Amino acid sequence: MPSGPALLEVEHLTKEYRNVVALNDISFSIFDGVTGILGENGAGKSTAIKILLGLVRPTSGSAMVLGENASESIGVRARLGYMPEHDCLPSQVSAAEFLTHMAELSGLPPSVARTRAADTLRHTGLFEERYRAIGGYSTGMKQRVKLGQALVHDPAFVFLDEPTAGLDPLGREEMLDLVRKTHQEFGISVLLSSHLMADVERTCDRIIVLQGGRLVHAGDVGQFTKETETVFIEVDTNRERLVAALELRGVGVSADGGGLTIEGPDESVYDHIRDALVESQAPLRRMAPRRRALAELFERDASASPDGRIA
Amino acid sequence: MTIHSAGLAAPPAAHTGTVFDIGYRGYTGVREGRNRSRLAIFKDGVRIAMGFGRGGRAKILPWAFIALLSLISLIMAMIAGAAERLGGPGAAEKMNLPSHGDFYGIASIILFLFAAVVAPELLCRDRREGTINLYLVRPLTGTDYVFSRWAAFTAVMTLTAWLPQVILFLGLSMGDPVPVVYLRNHWLDFPRFLAAGVAMAAYTTTLAMLIASFTNRRAYASVFLIGLFVITTPFTVGLAEEIGGAAGQWVSMFNLTNIPLHVNDVIFGEVSEMTEDAPARTLPAAVRVGWYFLWTLIPAGVLWWRYRRLSP
Repeated sequence: MPSGPALLEVEHLTKEYRNVVALNDISFSIFDGVTGILGENGAGKSTAIKILLGLVRPTSGSAMVLGENASESIGVRARLGYMPEHDCLPSQVSAAEFLTHMAELSGLPPSVARTRAADTLRHTGLFEERYRAIGGYSTGMKQRVKLGQALVHDPAFVFLDEPTAGLDPLGREEMLDLVRKTHQEFGISVLLSSHLMADVERTCDRIIVLQGGRLVHAGDVGQFTKETETVFIEVDTNRERLVAALELRGVGVSADGGGLTIEGPDESVYDHIRDALVESQAPLRRMAPRRRALAELFERDASASPDGRIA
Repeated sequence: MTIHSAGLAAPPAAHTGTVFDIGYRGYTGVREGRNRSRLAIFKDGVRIAMGFGRGGRAKILPWAFIALLSLISLIMAMIAGAAERLGGPGAAEKMNLPSHGDFYGIASIILFLFAAVVAPELLCRDRREGTINLYLVRPLTGTDYVFSRWAAFTAVMTLTAWLPQVILFLGLSMGDPVPVVYLRNHWLDFPRFLAAGVAMAAYTTTLAMLIASFTNRRAYASVFLIGLFVITTPFTVGLAEEIGGAAGQWVSMFNLTNIPLHVNDVIFGEVSEMTEDAPARTLPAAVRVGWYFLWTLIPAGVLWWRYRRLSP
């Protein structure tokens, strides 16, 4: 359950660009912690973040950030951090100089900015490389600089837009660890935008799901994970007999290529699967948990309520 | 290491040490707001223009221009000094050697090249590399950003214009057999070249930054600006001569290189070597100064308008 006041509050927010509705009457609140905002490309994630940062004015509705109206208060941005998805780093300057500059841009005095730049680069694992020009960094190192510039001024809240974009599996793990650490150890709340369910599941406490500008889900990540998990089964023979045995036990099953997908498993479902396999004498080749693709989730959630509160 | 804890005896002083927490820490100190942000953009602009904190290649161009301008003024001072020594006191003035009032005219092409090559770097790179997206999510507006960048390059340009004039002033003073007499007779040149330098810097910076606001590539902006100055000068000079009369005077006013030089003439109260053949030189001072402000304020307004609503 969330504690304390909402850090971000969105009420009936709508944003239209000529004939395109980017956000359609969405409402949610975000409290202390790590919250994921999940959606496919064009779902409205970036528009929502831009409105929360006060860069874009909503067509209607309101967005309050740290108690201030996002589109009217420029000063509140001194307590916000933003890590964009796309390239945004100067190639010719060193990470130390760049972070110092960004800290000053957020209002920190120069001597403090220099100290904080060094501390932040140590936190993001770039301390040894801090005097090299950023242009010579790898993709993973650049992502760390992007995270560092978002944290260098010690924001109360930080927006991370696709922080794992372009990273290899190891780099992705390290970045997600850093994100988690950012909240757990430094007390900075995070809104992580991603189109990868696994990133959100691994890092976030709560989740907001957008589709086509509408809010389709808002709640606890554990609950969302439970609701969206399936089990994939592949057998060598007697597939029809297995389906019949599962249906007889009230287990929802659907064909998935050469295998079968079983909806929303809980502990009792695994017992039913075991019994049905024995009864149908179907030799099991493979059984593995599997998550629905985002597109499938959105089809399923399309009729959900457009109003939500992260609880 | 010393352990300051109740119930534990302190070990010998030889083993004392300090534990530093060098990790990330929260910040509870003062946040200085938008003025600090503007100052940060200004400082960064100066560093970009002069190549500070960048590799050696970034320093070559600005410092080469500054060295060249200083060399010109040094040569002018040496020639004047030699004339004084060889021809006696007042010889330089009798020979009508170029002085402070002529310097900006003589150096104008170098000053324009400096602005055309260096100024676009302050705007183009931020847009090309996307860094401006990070700036505008800080407590900073597009107006704050572009004004701070403009102020940064105007400051660099002003100092670049002033430095050779100061060298020339010192050179002429020391070249005179009686420096105190020179200073007494020519002290007014000092505020005059300071004012004319500001006029030159504001005009060239504004035009260069306006052109730079239309492209992400510094090279495109530089080539366009050099072309603009190079093409308008012979074109307007030829056309003004061809037409003649009042119309010719107004055609001559479109010589972009001469616009700040006419203001220089007004400030020094005499026509410089570069404008002595321009038909526009005979127009009233108020018209020439007004024309200068028109060519500075309108581009500045367009530049501001382009950045006013900029967002990532």
